Amino acid sequence: MKLLKPSWVSHNGKPIFSVDIHPDGTKFATGGQGEDSGKVMIWNMAPVLREEDEKNENIPKMLCQMDNHLACVNCVRWSNNGLYLASGGDDKLVMVWKRAAFIGPSTVFGSSSKLANVEQWRCVTILRNHTGDVMDVAWSPHDVWLASCSVDNTIVIWNARKFPEMVTCLRGHTGLVKGLTWDPVGKYIASQADDHSLKVWRTMDWQLETNITKPFSECGGTTHVLRLSWSPDGQYLVSAHAMNNSGPTAQIVERDGWKTNMDFVGHRKAVTVVKFNPKIFKKKQKNGGSPKPSCPYCCCAVGSKDRSLSVWLTSLKRPLVVIHDLFDKSIMDISWTLTGLGILVCSMDGTVAYLDFSLDELGDPLNEEEKNTIHQNIYGKSLAITSTEAQLSTTIIENPEMLKYQQERQNAAQAGSGPGGAGLESTAPKLNSVMNGESLEDIRKNLLKKQVETRTADGRRRITPLCIAQLDTGDFSPALFNSVPILPGSSMPSQLTPQLSSDSSQGQASSLGLRPSHDTLLTSPPVKQSLLLTSASKIEPMKALDSRFTERSKATPGVTADGSSILKDVKNKEETSSDSEDKMAAINKNLSFTKRKADLLMDGGEVVEKRKKGRPRKDKMATPISQCYTNKVLLLLLLNYKLKDCVCVFVQVSMEPSVFLEVENDVSVVAGSKLSQLRCSRDGREWDTLLPSSVVTAAGSSDVIAVACEDRMLSVFSSCGRRLLPAIQLATPMSALHCSSHFVMALTAGARLSVWDVQKQTALVKNESLLTIMSGADTTVSQSLLTQQGVPVIGLSSGKSYCFNSSLETWTLIADKGDSLVQCADFRSCLPSHDAPVSSGPLAVMQGRNLNAGRLASRLSSTPHHLQQSMTLAFLENQLAAALTLLSAQEYRYWLLIYARFLVNEGSEYRLRELCKELLGPVHKSAATAWEPTTLGLRKRELLRELLPVIGQNLRFQRLFTEYQEQLELLRNK
Amino acid sequence: MCLSRFSASVTMAKVQVLNVAVLDNPSPFGNPFQFEITFECMEDLPEDLEWKIIYVGSAESEEYDQTLDSVLVGPVPAGRHMFVFQADAPNTGLIPESDAVGVTVVLITCTYRGQEFIRIGYYVNNEYTDPELRENPPIKPDYTQLQRNILASNPRVTRFHINWEGCAERMEDSENVDPASNSMLPPSCLPGKAPPLGLLPDNSMDCL
Repeated sequence: MKLLKPSWVSHNGKPIFSVDIHPDGTKFATGGQGEDSGKVMIWNMAPVLREEDEKNENIPKMLCQMDNHLACVNCVRWSNNGLYLASGGDDKLVMVWKRAAFIGPSTVFGSSSKLANVEQWRCVTILRNHTGDVMDVAWSPHDVWLASCSVDNTIVIWNARKFPEMVTCLRGHTGLVKGLTWDPVGKYIASQADDHSLKVWRTMDWQLETNITKPFSECGGTTHVLRLSWSPDGQYLVSAHAMNNSGPTAQIVERDGWKTNMDFVGHRKAVTVVKFNPKIFKKKQKNGGSPKPSCPYCCCAVGSKDRSLSVWLTSLKRPLVVIHDLFDKSIMDISWTLTGLGILVCSMDGTVAYLDFSLDELGDPLNEEEKNTIHQNIYGKSLAITSTEAQLSTTIIENPEMLKYQQERQNAAQAGSGPGGAGLESTAPKLNSVMNGESLEDIRKNLLKKQVETRTADGRRRITPLCIAQLDTGDFSPALFNSVPILPGSSMPSQLTPQLSSDSSQGQASSLGLRPSHDTLLTSPPVKQSLLLTSASKIEPMKALDSRFTERSKATPGVTADGSSILKDVKNKEETSSDSEDKMAAINKNLSFTKRKADLLMDGGEVVEKRKKGRPRKDKMATPISQCYTNKVLLLLLLNYKLKDCVCVFVQVSMEPSVFLEVENDVSVVAGSKLSQLRCSRDGREWDTLLPSSVVTAAGSSDVIAVACEDRMLSVFSSCGRRLLPAIQLATPMSALHCSSHFVMALTAGARLSVWDVQKQTALVKNESLLTIMSGADTTVSQSLLTQQGVPVIGLSSGKSYCFNSSLETWTLIADKGDSLVQCADFRSCLPSHDAPVSSGPLAVMQGRNLNAGRLASRLSSTPHHLQQSMTLAFLENQLAAALTLLSAQEYRYWLLIYARFLVNEGSEYRLRELCKELLGPVHKSAATAWEPTTLGLRKRELLRELLPVIGQNLRFQRLFTEYQEQLELLRNK
Repeated sequence: MCLSRFSASVTMAKVQVLNVAVLDNPSPFGNPFQFEITFECMEDLPEDLEWKIIYVGSAESEEYDQTLDSVLVGPVPAGRHMFVFQADAPNTGLIPESDAVGVTVVLITCTYRGQEFIRIGYYVNNEYTDPELRENPPIKPDYTQLQRNILASNPRVTRFHINWEGCAERMEDSENVDPASNSMLPPSCLPGKAPPLGLLPDNSMDCL
């Protein structure tokens, strides 16, 4: 063991109350008393570790000092990810600091020491709630929470992902709370107070798990701090000052039953601080010795008011080492390096000491895998994910490719910590420049002339200062802890956003259509003039769609009719609907009829434009079209109109090529039967055809046009007007008709679904009943669509969406808006960190683009990590399966990457390995294998190649990475 | 802990002075003082800051202190701000003739709600530029020939804890305010005999 007291680590002789080594081991923080304030200082670790660095003038010793605390700083603690430093002080405040990189003075203005701040750390959030000195702060495993305790007898749990949000305040102590420690697996937090008690609280419900008082009954309240500690295996909790037979001890509390049978004895005065080594050790194997497996043990340092430090191994009955007279005053805090071999101790006398142990003295530290195995054996798999990235950082990188991804990850971590993070600058809490591109120098030159000076009423000068930077106080978004959250759909043109909200109103409209409110219209006085309900302004697509879908819009097409005929139709319609099945109305999702009425009612008889008959002028239509066009969103504006007699409909079917469809019923009467005309304009070229019955619904895609007539005949034409199929006779009237690519989907009033492949002239779905999925009396179809791949999707009013899987010949659930998994899954950290194309496709449409990654996740932050992890996993796997069954390749790839990132982040090796195996397939060709080299047209090995960089970001999967990288390489060379 | 305690209303300083640049320095004695002050504010301030420039006429006594000017600065939203504080040169009639030439001090103070929270001191050296005059200074100082040189590189900053939420009265009540003390002095400063330089954390004149 080596011992060093770096004299340069000092607060100018003032007491140092706290010390903490950064997880990456390169720096450490001290907290204590400053000149006339509290002081937090950040120091370089290198000069402590190496003498040559200490002597090297070019290596800075002090990195930063912060005088912001008004009064003595009692505790400084780095977050586990190393990004933040939390400090608590006598000023009742907890401050959270973050490395900043903005322009600013490199020295504290007017500071007597001319030492420059090498690093800029600034306070990003101040947590105010305590009404007394804050004595200790502690970050939970995974930095989910930050706990602080105070002489106000309370412990406050802060939401570390959403500062300054408070999760809860733990009340119960009746004395000054002077120490905190989290259970390494995150199940408990323990606190020790002057009220002669040690309390263990559950993180599940923040209730008291146990209250231990016996060992503390003789204790006086004279210790400054009571920093207790939990062993890295979670099995033991060791208290600060306890008494046993009038002697000061550190009480060992066993997790199993909270038994208090053992203690560390020997200190002559009260124990102020206990700190477990983060490593678990096993006995050093001696060369030639019997390889008898020894029981792993922990190592613990104990500091006391008697100014001495003792280091214990749980395998030994006596301390490993006791160092007396290390300081002139009480020991205040202890911090281990993550390697487990170094320890920093600070004292009230204003000095720190560094102790360096060797492996021979402590034993062999278990690696993370072994430590995990121990955790898994004790707590089961779910709780055992404790190894942090930082701990992994000590792993040797064996693979050069791996190194690349590790570096990328680190860069990304630095860059990605701010929304839109670009480069290192963004790690700073953003100071939004408000200088309009003027340089600070320019401003300074003219500042005196430019600044606004006024006189107050009493004649005093008043200067309005020039704001040179705004303080972005909203810095503490969850994004800082995870990567940038890009929510699905966020890249959608904003123009389309409101359409999403119309989703629900559509449902309302549907249900409204079933009410007797029909009568209002029926009995209302006939509108005198003929109505033309079309106006450009009214055409608003109902769904945000891309080119793959045909979807009806809310647009009221150019409907011209004279009032009386409308009323007549309404009556007719009422009759037909009453004798058809009840379900008809239910699945009649179009309800254009009802909608038109709604429009009528809304307009209050106001005639938008009087026109006798015919199609609306082109210029009317031009407005929305050009809008769509400029947005480069390919909108297949709806189609699907129930047409009445004497009604002419004019619709755009496709933007690119631009296809317009015009239907005019009753154009002429030939031999007693009424003929309807279907006119189509495609890229300026027109064709038309005649139909022997009134057209009820029409739909089209860039490839096909489908028209359903009143006589329940369905006709399908090519985009150039050739009839592709003989008229199809439907059993019941058409309710919804969709075309997409060369597929036609028909949903009939009889609640039956058919999908035809016009190209192959086959049926993909044969008159399938919807009754299977429409359980419950009130369920109606709220949405239906046909994907580009010919997969029919039905959205129900219950929030569930189904698609019919024609290969499985069954309905499959692809989305459920009420699914709690959707709301609780938290995969924000796994979303693509750059502006990758977000998921758009049938799945996104059915789930709603407002699908918010972990919308409720923050509210459920009290949900134990393992539960949330399982929920997220289940959700992501659902998404993958749904994308697969929807044949939506792009979405499959999108979710696959998120899924892989999640597995990598959470360290789920088995699943990850299976995934890779499936993607790689057999390396050697064999006839027996059923492995398909592609999925949804995506080459699986290409997908695997995309996944490798993701896998490479977690050092733990180094072996896996190398294994698959080599196999891919091998296959490529074949 | 327990080393310094504050009343419940005391909170962290909301205003941090980041930099003070001394403009037009050195300059003839009669030129106005110009300080370009950069400060950062943690949150929107409902009230103005009051800045003062105080010229210490004589190190011997505070009675020769002159407040050159005071100015209100506001509104101050959260963020980083800068302004130039210009104040006329001191009234030479109020400076003891014996102290006209040599080293003295200029102070910049800032108060919020009547409470001073920062005091920035600069040493000022007034001397004749003409070697002749330097050798044989006139008995009655010739201010037109004097050059003022502010030791800009060595500001002495003293920060005081104030009640940012409340008003001055409460702090005025605190025990260490001597009613006889100069109103320029902050409440927590030692009143009375201490010469103005004593306000500076360490008055090492050796640096001059």
